Amino acid sequence: MSVLVQIIDGPIGAEAERSVLARSTAMTDDRTGAIVRFEGIVRRIETDMTEARERALTALDYETYDPMALLQLERLARETATAHGVISIVVLHSRGRVRVGERSFVLVVASPHRKEALAAMHAFIDRLKVEVPIWKRPVWAS
Amino acid sequence: MPASVEGRAPAGIGSCPVTLEVRIFGAASLRLGSDRLRVEVAERPTAAEVLAAISLQHPALRLADSGARLAVNCDFVAPETFVAPHDEVALIAFVSGG
Repeated sequence: MSVLVQIIDGPIGAEAERSVLARSTAMTDDRTGAIVRFEGIVRRIETDMTEARERALTALDYETYDPMALLQLERLARETATAHGVISIVVLHSRGRVRVGERSFVLVVASPHRKEALAAMHAFIDRLKVEVPIWKRPVWAS
Repeated sequence: MPASVEGRAPAGIGSCPVTLEVRIFGAASLRLGSDRLRVEVAERPTAAEVLAAISLQHPALRLADSGARLAVNCDFVAPETFVAPHDEVALIAFVSGG
């Protein structure tokens, strides 16, 4: 089982993702039969909880509590991989400003079959949203 | 004075209040206009006591039913864990990653 986690300043570019994936066993492990990839992008319309209405964004500012955020992501990836029997989990998350349309989160799960990869992906994201010390702050368009 | 079964003096007997500094982030940081808060607690408090004291002394945070947890030295701790004066304490609430 292989786990790779990285927190990147700003949006997650293709080169950063390639560089991390190149170190993963996802493609080289002979047991791999399914690779599921999720990417989170900053959407233009977000609900402003203070005004209880939808507003346009220009960006999200991500704040991380370092090094706990990285440690929690690693722990979560290992626990998820073990629980679902997957081969590899790669996680990239942004820190700092990410503009609308840019990527702030990438998760790649490799496993022998699709079911465990899909289940692991859902489980990981659900726990990420309550267990990892990362916060986003909206930058409103107006 | 003999220590209690929990390993510290019984509350209110010979224990002095101490001020603990707690790191805060995200919405909590915005609400207080700072990246840290100070909270007065009994000497050698548990994580649950620190959380309760924060909630009481900083009502602007609106922590009730928020699922807030305490991290000590970059790890979540159980409510009964004791917090030492030199520990790095952080309030983990309203997280929103992903």
